[in-house]
Amino acid sequence: MAFAGGGLNSPSARDTAPGPRFFVFAVLSILLMYFDQRDGWSQRIRYVLQGAAYPVQVAVGSPRLLWNSTVDLFSTRATLRRENTELKARERELSLTAMRFAALEQENARLRGLANGLPPLVKRSQLADVVSADLSSQRQRLVIDQGDRAGLYRSQAIVDATGLVGQLVRVGPWSAEVMLISDPGHAVPVEILRNGVRTVAEGTGNEDEMRLSLLPATADVKAGDTLVTSGLGGVFPAGIPVGTVVEAVRDPDDILARVRVRPRASLARDRQVMALWFNPESPMAPVDSALVRELPEAPLARPVLEPPSPATKVTKP
Amino acid sequence: MIITGSRESPLLVYITALIALMLTLMPLPRSLGVLWPNLLVLVIIYWSMMMPRAGGILIGFLGGLAIDVFVGSQLGQHALALSLLCYLGIRLHLLVRAKPLFEQALFVLAALLIYEGVLWAIDGFSNQSTGTWTRWLHSFTGAAIWPLVAGLLGRLHSPR
Repeated sequence: MAFAGGGLNSPSARDTAPGPRFFVFAVLSILLMYFDQRDGWSQRIRYVLQGAAYPVQVAVGSPRLLWNSTVDLFSTRATLRRENTELKARERELSLTAMRFAALEQENARLRGLANGLPPLVKRSQLADVVSADLSSQRQRLVIDQGDRAGLYRSQAIVDATGLVGQLVRVGPWSAEVMLISDPGHAVPVEILRNGVRTVAEGTGNEDEMRLSLLPATADVKAGDTLVTSGLGGVFPAGIPVGTVVEAVRDPDDILARVRVRPRASLARDRQVMALWFNPESPMAPVDSALVRELPEAPLARPVLEPPSPATKVTKP
Repeated sequence: MIITGSRESPLLVYITALIALMLTLMPLPRSLGVLWPNLLVLVIIYWSMMMPRAGGILIGFLGGLAIDVFVGSQLGQHALALSLLCYLGIRLHLLVRAKPLFEQALFVLAALLIYEGVLWAIDGFSNQSTGTWTRWLHSFTGAAIWPLVAGLLGRLHSPR
């Protein structure tokens, strides 16, 4: 081998041959990368490795969990009581909203000319604990303690009590990885609740900030606007709160507006998240989730670069 | 194969690498996380220079694969970069380990920059986000704590 002739570094026979071995491992790595991009059998390797990795992930995340439970342990009676009254007030408020919501749903069904009410959007949900979090500027991921065994599937929508959290990118036997909506590689199709303008919210690598980078400077958007998922893109259903516009800057030299959005869900502080299964008959649902599962590569939400044509509407007649 | 018995013990290499992996993956606040050195890479560089036959390039490959799985990058990306560092470490071990710690740290800085460079190039080739300049910062903190890492690990095996 050409590498093996070093004069200074050849003390023994075994030391002289790292070259060929490196060559083998390099080829192996490159093959792995090649097949991992193409989503074939390497998914099965991933699945096994994901299972093997779970104990280490639990160990790595345990200081955080320990800290959280210590804080819980020392929360006083007074704070608990205050929290209780707050929750009761909130519960009253929510049950009022739910009452109105039921009436609205009835009315919606009548307007659509349906004899019986619409099927509920969420068919089933599953709570999962956050085991560890990776919140860097290149990656915004959570690991949760439910996986394939609980029926979770790739590109499933994950929410918390306040809004959209992200989607599953990898599912192992007992754990799964959530790509947060703030991940720099993530984009979610949204609409402005106030006027129905549709666009795409991209992650920035900061869990407190997202960006609308495809809105023209003339678009009607202002600070305080609420963004909800638009239901396009086939991953998330319509109408899940995503965030609030913090700032909309219009530079006269620029065609696009610079819009900063604060995610509604407390992405970095979540201890529990919820995985959702949708009822495919509901008009709000994304494309059939069974269909998404069968795709070799589940569609991650990608930026929509042109305005959606009327034909791509998700709503069924 | 026993820690105390032989001079080059794979067991010691794998155990320290596992501990370093856990410390590397520790969730940290943003500002600290950017500067946090990749301890697994430092430990593997150390062992490939001090015990070139114990772990060999295999430990680099396995360690890199572990990072790939935990970090969620393409399988093989970190494995390739870390195998390369192992190879360089084994090739140059006699040259580098005779140097004082400060000069070793310079070698380590170069190695970490090569490591990040390989990752960066693969990110670029595969059309992924290549990140910001902050991704290079950990190379410098890594080189800065090299004397500490080398000192600690040096105590674990009998001096040459």
